Amino acid sequence: MRASATKTPRQTTRVGHRARAQRREAVALVIPALLPILIFSVIPLVSGVALGFTDATLKRNAEINFIGFGNFIELLGDSRFWESFGIGIIWAGSVALLTLVCAMGLALLLNSDLKLKGLTRVLALIPWAMPPVVIAIVWRMIYNPNSGPLNGALEAIGIPGVNWLGDFSTALPAVILVGVWSGIPQTTVLLLAGMQSISAEQHEAAAVDGAGVFRRFWHITLPGLRPIIVAVTALDFIWQFNSFGLIYVLTEGGPGGRTMIPPLFTYLEAFRNREIGYASAMGDVLVIAIMLILSLYLINQFRQTKGSRS
Amino acid sequence: MRKANNMKRIRGIGAIAFAGIAILTLGGCQQGSATKDSNDGEGGAITLQFQSLSDQPDAQAAVKAIVDEWNAENSDVQVEIVQAGWDGTFDKLVTQFTGGTAPDIIHYEASSIASFAADGYLADLTDYIDSDLKSDISDGIWDSVTQDGEIIAYPSTLQSYMVFANADLLETAGVEIPTGETMTWKQLQEMAAATTTGETYGLGWGLASPTATIMSLALGFDGGFFSGDGTDASIEVGEAELAVPELIHEMTYTDKSVDPTSLTQSGSDVLASFYGGKAAMTVQGSFQATNIANDAPEGLNWVALPPLEGSEGAIQAANPQTYSVNIDSEHVKESAEFLNFFMSGDNLAQIAYADALIPSSDSARAEVEKLAADNPAWTQVLKSGEGLVGPPFLKVEKYTEWKDTVATPAFQQYLADQITADQLAEQLTDGWSSIAG
Repeated sequence: MRASATKTPRQTTRVGHRARAQRREAVALVIPALLPILIFSVIPLVSGVALGFTDATLKRNAEINFIGFGNFIELLGDSRFWESFGIGIIWAGSVALLTLVCAMGLALLLNSDLKLKGLTRVLALIPWAMPPVVIAIVWRMIYNPNSGPLNGALEAIGIPGVNWLGDFSTALPAVILVGVWSGIPQTTVLLLAGMQSISAEQHEAAAVDGAGVFRRFWHITLPGLRPIIVAVTALDFIWQFNSFGLIYVLTEGGPGGRTMIPPLFTYLEAFRNREIGYASAMGDVLVIAIMLILSLYLINQFRQTKGSRS
Repeated sequence: MRKANNMKRIRGIGAIAFAGIAILTLGGCQQGSATKDSNDGEGGAITLQFQSLSDQPDAQAAVKAIVDEWNAENSDVQVEIVQAGWDGTFDKLVTQFTGGTAPDIIHYEASSIASFAADGYLADLTDYIDSDLKSDISDGIWDSVTQDGEIIAYPSTLQSYMVFANADLLETAGVEIPTGETMTWKQLQEMAAATTTGETYGLGWGLASPTATIMSLALGFDGGFFSGDGTDASIEVGEAELAVPELIHEMTYTDKSVDPTSLTQSGSDVLASFYGGKAAMTVQGSFQATNIANDAPEGLNWVALPPLEGSEGAIQAANPQTYSVNIDSEHVKESAEFLNFFMSGDNLAQIAYADALIPSSDSARAEVEKLAADNPAWTQVLKSGEGLVGPPFLKVEKYTEWKDTVATPAFQQYLADQITADQLAEQLTDGWSSIAG
């Protein structure tokens, strides 16, 4: 009794000691990996967020004052920013959804037993290998109202040409089309990987039971791909919402602000107007908006894992 | 033993962390320090970095020749050209100034460089400017580069907007080429209507970025847009200011003599249609005279028409190209000395002639007249130079901001027939009040 009584505390101190040592060891192992994240990711992010609460400008030796929520209150009444926010949602939403639909079709095609499967898969990846600026320049040539091949083809069959990027009604759809084109490969690859992880036995069993191609797609392929579809679409939305280069080169936000997505608007505020504080506040609002979307996705994922466990 | 090991490890982590912090602080220091570029060369010679935007081949060669001449004569102050282009210069300068890597001598234009002067990045050159040069350039032009009583740049060459015409198409349409001192808007409108046929538009006008052109030509109708200066400037958009956009709108949508597609394109895109005979006339910056002379297909019989005259005369905005000196340069004095040499009559004339721009100084203008004696297009370029006056917007601190975020989209919408002239005036005015605060 006595012996054990004295023994227990001694043991706990030893365990506590070891645990502490282990913890130190763990910290030692984690810090080298954490440092780059801290330096290149966390510190810029935090300082960027913090700038949103100041009146910082790009003036020489500018004096920076903390102004609390001043920028955000001003932003609340800035109708031009919210207009651009709306355009951003339309842009990112339609690009994400259309990309999903097109990529699904392409992935199904590539997944079937076609001849030259290897070649077609490589071809489908080409847009991925092109930097956004190059894509934008090529598409600007295609859309050129006077000498572009698109209008050339239309005029050849008797339809009058359209000023794709200059016309107020076609500029945003034209830009969305380019966004979809450049986004397809990534989504296709992920969907294709997902399709190949669905076991062939399920399809065979369904076929034996008399299910046609469409029913098999609806009841086997689609449910099997669901987590991938949700993840890919959410990520696509975020990427597109933040994309800059493509639209900047295609239209620079024109005509008349019709394609002025929030990153472009923020860029104008930061580099043209040199109001870094206000621009950072815009950035903060965008981060919050994206986190909201991301949280929807995470909640969805969380529910799913919980559902499959129980 | 283990404890000792742990201690060592922890000390190791400390060292890594310390190194990381050291890198950060060093980086921070570098950001704060001024020009690291004006290194002292060998034997005490200093090197000045000169960021030049003259990107047309002829102008590039002219700039290089002048710099080479200076370098040969001044072994102790060497100038190094950093070639850049006009596109994206504003962003580039913002980054260079903020990052402390801006060159010593900066080439740009008056309306945009004003922002950098307002932010305190440019040296006051008032005391360095050669007195002969000072009196050789008109006060109006000096005024366009003066801010708060400080001259912040040397004004070098000026651009005017000119009408170029395809003489053959004009002749086919039975239109006589105007020969007077000036040409009224009415004349332009009638010529455009007369030359418009099924396949050809009378006028192609690259107005993708319409603000600068409209603000400049509006002066011909006494449309100044702004009054006052600095942060106290106020805007007024009335009949005089709307005259030019309304004329373009009328020609496009009532007369249908202006190609509506061209209004969404850049000037050089429209030149391609002009070369292809799809537009009988085109309005372009005078500098395009050089490009047309070089690039126009053989057999294209082109002429430059007399300067456009509004109700107040053939007046356009003088928005000169500028050469400024970085305030953080270690060699402001030497940079200014080089610019005094660079701006001398002969040198400036060479650059202006190569670029088809109007030189700011009288002696250079006289020299260009000699160089261009047998070139008919040049007669018109020089004639249009006589009507250049300092525009009110050069004095407005937040002009660039208003131009890019308010005016350009508003003019684009009006020229695309999306809004009325009243709505245009309202957008321009309201946009200014929201920017000026």
